[in-house]
Amino acid sequence: MSLENLYPSPVFKDYLPIEYRDLVEHGPYTNRGGKDKQTVKVTDMGKFKEVIEEHPMCAGCAMTLFIRLVYIGMPNPEHTIVVGTAGCGRLAISQASVPFIYGNYGDTNAVASGLKRGLEIRFPNQKKDVVVMAGDGGLIDIGFQGLMHSWFRKEKFVTIMLDNEVYGNTGGQESGMTNHGKVLKMAPRGKFGDKVDALGLAKVAEVDYICRLAPTNPARVARTVRRAIMVAREVGHSYIQAYTSCNIEYSIPTPDVMKDAFEIEKERYGFEEIISPRAKEYLDEIEKKAKKKKSDK
Amino acid sequence: MLIQDNLILTRSNPSGQGGTQFLYRVKDYGLTALSGPQEEISMIHWEVEIIKFTSQKTAEFEVCHSTELADKTLKFYTDKSLNEFLQKAFQYFEELDTLEKMLPQES
Amino acid sequence: MANVKGAAVNRTAVDEGKPADWIPGTERQTVVDPMEMFHKLPREKQFITGSEAARESMRRANIDIAIAYPITPQSESMQQAGYLYDEGYIKEYYRAEEEIGTFSAISGASRAGVRSLTATSGPGLMRGMEAISSWPGARTPIIMLNMCRVINTPLAIQPDNIEMSFMLNTGMILLHAENQQDFYDYPLAAIMASEQVDVTLPACVSTDGFFVTHARGPVLITPEEFKLPPRDGWRSAVPAMDNENPPARISRDAPIQKSNFISYHMHSSWQQEVFAAVHRSAKYFRKYLGGLIEVVNPGAEEFIIASGCAVSQAREAVRQEGEQGRTVGLIKIKTIRPFPIAEIVEAIQGVKRILVPEFNQAGWLHKELCAVLYGKSTAVIKDGPRVYGGMTMPTEMVLEALADFRKEVP
Repeated sequence: MSLENLYPSPVFKDYLPIEYRDLVEHGPYTNRGGKDKQTVKVTDMGKFKEVIEEHPMCAGCAMTLFIRLVYIGMPNPEHTIVVGTAGCGRLAISQASVPFIYGNYGDTNAVASGLKRGLEIRFPNQKKDVVVMAGDGGLIDIGFQGLMHSWFRKEKFVTIMLDNEVYGNTGGQESGMTNHGKVLKMAPRGKFGDKVDALGLAKVAEVDYICRLAPTNPARVARTVRRAIMVAREVGHSYIQAYTSCNIEYSIPTPDVMKDAFEIEKERYGFEEIISPRAKEYLDEIEKKAKKKKSDK
Repeated sequence: MLIQDNLILTRSNPSGQGGTQFLYRVKDYGLTALSGPQEEISMIHWEVEIIKFTSQKTAEFEVCHSTELADKTLKFYTDKSLNEFLQKAFQYFEELDTLEKMLPQES
Repeated sequence: MANVKGAAVNRTAVDEGKPADWIPGTERQTVVDPMEMFHKLPREKQFITGSEAARESMRRANIDIAIAYPITPQSESMQQAGYLYDEGYIKEYYRAEEEIGTFSAISGASRAGVRSLTATSGPGLMRGMEAISSWPGARTPIIMLNMCRVINTPLAIQPDNIEMSFMLNTGMILLHAENQQDFYDYPLAAIMASEQVDVTLPACVSTDGFFVTHARGPVLITPEEFKLPPRDGWRSAVPAMDNENPPARISRDAPIQKSNFISYHMHSSWQQEVFAAVHRSAKYFRKYLGGLIEVVNPGAEEFIIASGCAVSQAREAVRQEGEQGRTVGLIKIKTIRPFPIAEIVEAIQGVKRILVPEFNQAGWLHKELCAVLYGKSTAVIKDGPRVYGGMTMPTEMVLEALADFRKEVP
């Protein structure tokens, strides 16, 4: 989208809701500073207008924090389309001022494959970023086939798994990403089998940028999202797997949500980045350029 | 494409199996050329019957296996080979008609 | 070739694995007005299979992307689409993982604002039905070719068009091609109709597998140097998902988030609009196809009403009845959705008997006719002959059904 589309005509400006004026005047679109460089800082969260707000997520939901960080990390939200599916995440994602395709359950990676290829045909001179953001059930269970094949085909978009290790939106059933033995709905005797090693599958599929993380370090989340999107633009597929706990179904007291994130990160969800040589070469190149620009100033 | 001379009717395969049937007529004789469906498209071919019409006004006919042209259903794998056959057959039907007219008429 | 490194934008001939001076087929074609293509351009007669007719249709359709999963009897056409991609007549193409993946991906492509084509047959259609049934609501003008075959147990690959009954109430445009000629003409017309602003709907062109796809028939085709105008992604009932429009909280996709009165209203009004759009497409098919129906022997006392291959069998029966001095009328229904109620009602004024032959067990066309003609005609509407599972419908069968019908309803 040319940013002009976002800016209201001066005549109408005064009649627009304050939220909209804030978005275009103080949001991540205008705060950019340079074409590819984002100057909206994660540490300023709460001080500028985000592209997402007024979501109906549960109080204390870690997934919400993570989703907000994803939008802050987007290098070009004005040229991004998000694809999602049923699940808690979409309640927040659909409130963003970034187009959101809410398809059938489990269809995200197939829809994104067609969408990305279609956008490449229609806008040969404008990079359009496609980001799939869906839950663990939507990707690893019902969407498994589409997920795997988009990886094998090296489709140029990003898949972000919001891994709350449960079907939160339908009321707490175990999913493929639930840990072994965990008692949840539809697993009255405890989850049979292990948590699916999605990261391992991504490695086997030779996904170019793979990252596992918990939302414990907001700046790192935003950086990871940016890296994933840049790799998907130029190199191949990117996969981010984020621990986004469900404080309701896992009975985590609201004030302890971040404490849980730190504990789980330490125990089994440590930050891990796996980058293919060609993706690394590309990231080194653009990050070096960015550093040089900074030092030139 | 088959030659269109003496073509009196193009219709879908009347047996209902799909494909197209061409009816050629020269006087009282003629032939049907049927191209039916095949599971492998490369196997599509022509099935040709020599026929004798039973009515002057309609396209009703009987299969005729007693001419010198054929005593069975013929198969052709290309339009070209069938077209060559059609030319010969048309000439043969003309001659056959002349010969039959020379025979004493049954009372 | 979207997975070629660095080849995402401005791909060159070399990126496509071609010599540097390669010119894609589509760039050698000239755009013509659809009405000129459908009614004015000279046509050459070829004797080709339905699959080949589909290929020639696709060659002239200015398709941006084709995605499909192979299934008999569709495979023949979609591998031909692969050759068209290689020749540069289709810009993007891939074999998807299966049909849910196929039909989801093609909806993504269509949402990007490009002309998107897919194809399938019976069981594949059923597998992808969830995705298909969401296309109309998403207002994605996808073109789907459907080569009908058996869907139910015992498994068979034979022609049988029961699968069309599952598409009647999806909100899709649905055409039924009688023969190879229709399978060339209908996709082109369906594309142009489906992309009109007041339509913006997916369209399916069905034909009976094998009988049409794997058999040759005469087809009049337009010169290959002419193609349809491209899809204009900016011209649509709803904006493409390209982020080229002012932001909306939830643009395009029906925002049925939770159960509340707003969502009920939104869903119902959205669906009403989808089905209204199906009706609005009729005027385009009247222009492009010269009518939604074809009537043979208007004014006859008895009529056969049919679609697809059953029309061909009925046509021959009508001809043979004519040889015997009996005039039997025939109505060929070209568009199943929009269903041509007004045209049929007008054509059957004063008719006593209507026979509806079909290639499926359900008799969906007979049921449809009974429903829409209720109170509008005094004719007795009889189903038959009905064959399925690959059974054939010889002309004699239609003639016998007509004879029996005359005895039952003198």
